[in-house]
Amino acid sequence: MTVQAYLLPRSLPEALGQLAQHGLDVLVMAGGTVAMPLINDGISLPSVVMGLRLAGLDGVERANGRLRIGATTTLTQLLQQNAVPVLREAARNTASWSIRNMGTVGGNLFTPPPGGDVAVALLALDASVTLSSSRSARVVSLADFYTGFMTNELAPDELLAELWVPISNEPTAFLKYGRKHANTPAVVTVAARVTWDGPTVADARIALGAAGPHPIRARDAERLLVGTDLGTDAIAAASAAAARECEPFTDAIATEWYRRRMVGLFVGRALQQLAPGAATEDR
Amino acid sequence: MASTIVTFELGGREVEVLVRPMTTLQSVLRNQLGQTATKDGCRQGGCGSCTVLVDGEPMASCLLPIEDVAGRRVTTLESLTPAEGLHPVQQAFVDEYAFQCGYCTPGMVMLSKALLDHDPAPNDEAIGQALAGNLCRCTGYRPIVDAIRHASGAMSGHDTEPVR
Ligand SMILES: Cc1cc2nc3c(=O)[nH]c(=O)nc-3n(C[C@H](O)[C@H](O)[C@H](O)COP(=O)(O)OP(=O)(O)OC[C@H]3O[C@@H](n4cnc5c(N)ncnc54)[C@H](O)[C@@H]3O)c2cc1C
Ligand code: FES
Ligand code: FES
Repeated sequence: MTVQAYLLPRSLPEALGQLAQHGLDVLVMAGGTVAMPLINDGISLPSVVMGLRLAGLDGVERANGRLRIGATTTLTQLLQQNAVPVLREAARNTASWSIRNMGTVGGNLFTPPPGGDVAVALLALDASVTLSSSRSARVVSLADFYTGFMTNELAPDELLAELWVPISNEPTAFLKYGRKHANTPAVVTVAARVTWDGPTVADARIALGAAGPHPIRARDAERLLVGTDLGTDAIAAASAAAARECEPFTDAIATEWYRRRMVGLFVGRALQQLAPGAATEDR
Repeated sequence: MASTIVTFELGGREVEVLVRPMTTLQSVLRNQLGQTATKDGCRQGGCGSCTVLVDGEPMASCLLPIEDVAGRRVTTLESLTPAEGLHPVQQAFVDEYAFQCGYCTPGMVMLSKALLDHDPAPNDEAIGQALAGNLCRCTGYRPIVDAIRHASGAMSGHDTEPVR
């Protein structure tokens, strides 16, 4: 191991100060469940690493109708909150117990596909993130955060400090399809949510994981749902649109061909859970 | 390369180690403290053979820089094993033939201990969920699930006969 220094800042200001000082030379790490395997294998060879585990950035609380999630909140801590049930569902379907005890919500946003299952739920929830530097802090919606495969809005002198999730009473459907029942990489992950204007759909969110270079929104499918009653035809049209517009890939888990078909299938199933008359399991 | 001294609690004793930056807890246990029950299967977080408890919660010691456990309480299979005899979870693994080669066993025992601390009477679904990150290439898992159920009975005082 070639790491020369391991920094363990005790607060956000201290972390941001160290980041400003070391700049591009420092590898930031939260739970380490993505970064450490790469370091252990010699794929990543950082000389300076900054660990965020002691920086006091974890914790979940309600604030003005929103849920504030500290960036280093572990997936296990996310399982313990009740305000947004679908985030529990997403965390439960991510990795294994030991990994959930270490891996963080913030780190999940940086996990390349087919990872990023919690990020898929957050995207459907219209979450936003606070990106802080020693000079300023800005809030960016998660939909604008991703810019490409393993690229994002975060500047080299910034840290992801916290996440914001609007709390609402509408259910959000979350389905992860993998090749095992638990601790499995996604073939596809779907999160879906609709808001109603009486009997018609006012707005829709469909987020997909393992179906693009990062968690993506199926915007064509979302648009097709607006103004419908979320009946069988509307669901079929939206599912077909999502399968068309997604950008899946082939890896050891599944082929691009198969993932595209599973996007169609699982978007349909997720929307059925939200349709009027569906057995309402509050999630 | 500047070495640092890290102090943590291991099996009720305070230990102090001199390490190079970001040495993993797994490496410290195996290479510096001679505690080789903690295995070294993948160093990827993917096999569970290195599972130890940190403040009572299971973690993959291959992914944990030792600096991160400073001041915390680490429990390994060595710390679990009493001076005489076996911990009830260990005894249940013996009684149920829950290992063959034994490579996965230390991780499985640590995870089972943590599971029973959280849920003294887990059902098969809860056991399956808890074990999902720990691979066993020998037993087919059924004897391990049986051992956990057996240990659950033994530890709650309602001693049950071995399942088989
Ligand atoms: C066995 C195993 C199974 C897994 N299964 C799943 C799964 O089913 N689904 C899934 O989605 N993921 C899975 N993962 C991946 C991973 O565990 C999770 O995505 C976890 O949430 C990552 O968080 P972390 O804190 O450990 O990331 P880290 O490894 O700490 O961070 C990765 C990178 O993200 C950046 N980063 C992290 N936090 C910040 C921050 N606050 N500010 C700025 N940059 C930051 C850094 O560049 C860092 O190097 C699995 C991993 C393993 C080892
Ligand atoms: S060696 Fe740590 S999980 Fe495999
Ligand atoms: S007993 Fe051999 S791997 Fe489990």
